[in-house]
Amino acid sequence: MRRLLRLLVAGSIPWALAAHGAELRVGLAADVTSMDPHFLAIAPNINIAWHVFDALTHVDEDTRLIPGLALSWRAVDATTWEFKLRPGVRFHDGSELTAEDVVFSIERTLKVPNGQYGIFTRRIVGKEVVDAHTLRLKTATPYAMVPYDLNSVFIVSKKAAARSGPEDFDSGKAMVGTGPFRFVRFARGDRVELARNDAYWGAQGGKSAAWEKVTLRIVPTDPARLAGLLSGELDAIEQVPTADLPRIRRDARLNTVQKVSWRTIFFYLDQHRDRAPGLADKAGRPLAQNPFRDLRVRRALSKAINRAAIAGRLMDGAAIPASNLVSPPVFGYAPDLAPETYDPEEAKRLLAEAGYPDGFAMTLSATNNRYVNDEQIAQAVAQMFARVGVRARVETLPLNAYLPKGRKGEFAFAMFGWGSFSADLALRALVATPDPDKGFGAFNWSGYSNRQVDALLERAFASVDEKRREALARDAMRLAMRDHAVIALHHQVATWAMRKPLAYAPRTDEFTLAHQIREK
Amino acid sequence: MTPARRIAAEFAASRIALAGLALLALVLLAALFAPWISPQNPYDLARLDLLDSRLPPGARSAAGAIHWLGTDDQGRDMLSAILYGLRTSVAVGLTSTTLALAIGVSLGLAAAWFGGWLDALLMRIADLQLSFPSILIALVLLAVLGQGLDKIVIALVAVQWAYYARTARAAALVERRKEYVDAAVALAFSNARIIFRHLLPNCLPPLLVLATVQIAAAITLEATLSFLGLGLPITQPSLGLLISNGFNYLLSGHYWISAFPGIALLLAVVSINLVADRLGEVLDPHGPQR
Repeated sequence: MRRLLRLLVAGSIPWALAAHGAELRVGLAADVTSMDPHFLAIAPNINIAWHVFDALTHVDEDTRLIPGLALSWRAVDATTWEFKLRPGVRFHDGSELTAEDVVFSIERTLKVPNGQYGIFTRRIVGKEVVDAHTLRLKTATPYAMVPYDLNSVFIVSKKAAARSGPEDFDSGKAMVGTGPFRFVRFARGDRVELARNDAYWGAQGGKSAAWEKVTLRIVPTDPARLAGLLSGELDAIEQVPTADLPRIRRDARLNTVQKVSWRTIFFYLDQHRDRAPGLADKAGRPLAQNPFRDLRVRRALSKAINRAAIAGRLMDGAAIPASNLVSPPVFGYAPDLAPETYDPEEAKRLLAEAGYPDGFAMTLSATNNRYVNDEQIAQAVAQMFARVGVRARVETLPLNAYLPKGRKGEFAFAMFGWGSFSADLALRALVATPDPDKGFGAFNWSGYSNRQVDALLERAFASVDEKRREALARDAMRLAMRDHAVIALHHQVATWAMRKPLAYAPRTDEFTLAHQIREK
Repeated sequence: MTPARRIAAEFAASRIALAGLALLALVLLAALFAPWISPQNPYDLARLDLLDSRLPPGARSAAGAIHWLGTDDQGRDMLSAILYGLRTSVAVGLTSTTLALAIGVSLGLAAAWFGGWLDALLMRIADLQLSFPSILIALVLLAVLGQGLDKIVIALVAVQWAYYARTARAAALVERRKEYVDAAVALAFSNARIIFRHLLPNCLPPLLVLATVQIAAAITLEATLSFLGLGLPITQPSLGLLISNGFNYLLSGHYWISAFPGIALLLAVVSINLVADRLGEVLDPHGPQR
């Protein structure tokens, strides 16, 4: 009720463009759980880390790799990568960045208890410091993805972070990086405060020094975040609620920017087990076999989904119907694939052909706080399935309850979203045959297994030649999509809104970076 | 005049209470006959069409049906959803209150009659529970129990029984000192017979007033829990869930998704409270405030 009241009050306050000086207040949509950049590999935490830390490699707005703390890198031989560090980079405490800090950071990812960044560094078996600014990394087998993986490894100061756990980062003691902002304060569930790093290596002509002070406010409630922007309490917000887009676009005081995100929303269907949870005939009796193992059933369900209606009606245009598991700007996207056409009659025919003329009953699992309009999408898809005779019971959970259940295999049909730098990385996580040693299939909740796809991915990861790697990744994508390893729904379109005259170059990786928000 | 007729006559002396009663009757009838008077079964997904989503009040759907109160983001007819939601709210309110009344009164009377350690134990449990906000207890219970209509009822009963136990005990402690109870004891009636045949009827008036007020409280609490996303599944929205769904669309001008279920909830709760207030005045032994 207080939320509602605040919202109504906020909406009625006359707009006043106060002089904010050099302070920027940004409204973030997702809760930040830790400051430690080597602990939980989730987007909201990584977003904060990009303000205080850098990685050896960075990515541009289209998720293409660009130099970060490393000026250049090359494959010395099939299993060795050499990185040349940028000279003269200083940490916030004034000490200079050396290869020792990089080695320390890589090792730390494997040491943080329950840390999730080991998947990016486990392949590195040898680290050789050639000189203070040259580092050689060895892998056991040919592996082309080292520069990509290192984009996820934030470089911390060895001096400040030695023997530090996540709590030392939360308190700020170990929050010493090379990034554009110095860490000031983290108030859990509320805000992160930052101050400008005047000695930032990325500052060109004082451009990145636009904000002396940055406050990243955590406002997960959509209307509250929007109300904050409208009332002038916030200067910029991410994840503008889709239903409000038309209204915001009409508002002359606001700028909105949009870009197709790397996040693709899709559905897993369990095609591994003979019996999957929640599947039954319409009278509630268990089915003789798992219908999702039949390609015709998977295709029928895909054809039953009206992707255009979901993109237009539920997402207010902030989604693009998907044909791939990565979005169009991403490396390895196969442009020749087309989104499944909506054809409920054909879906019914395929179901009848597969032996389900009367359909069946299933449980459709989804999150209710992770993806844009996730709960509404789940309902709409259940509605579309009902029209072809498949009865779907919708069960939605918050992300932190959803993930463990998914990992334990408690879902037969489940919504998920994924963003990757490249198609081969996405396929490796989502559809490759699970193999923890190789880091394959970590999120393959479908239980899909195709030796051909696995072999193509192996070859792609071993190819240093980018053209060849992209061709292999596309082939793997075509195979997985033809098999309906998962049902691709749409690519999210990320939206930011800010008061004029602020501007932001929208990013495919959905990150909201305060140093890139500028006065036009 | 029989007591019932006296009460009815005194109740009718207040016009506002009569209006409340009429409104309550309307709400109850709407809830009872929802499946027959709703234009659409809002829980049947095959009847919904996403292409009819967020239609304003009075608009026609693609199939030609008029949605008098508009549609929500799934293309659900708001009028039907509100009628069904009212049905859920009223059912949950009545069931949980009846159960809590039965359990709370039994425990309260037992505590008053037997006294001693039983009294101390029950009242300390009640004290402990009343010292926590009821919404907090319900939230914790639902987090443990999971979703479902039965779970909501369990949570509401657990939250409410202590009020009845307290009230019943207080009333019974006064009654048990009276001569008619002594007479019953002298006749060597069984404990159960004295408690339920002699004590209970004389403790009933304040309990009935409390129960009517608590029905409204239960409905409000159920709506709050649903608003917070606990309790009922999203495909079978109750009033609280409808309000919560519409909340996302308040700033974009789709007011009807939140506003109409809110008004329905308001009418239901106000009508119950009007009736409960007057009932309290009429049943007050010191006489109604005329």
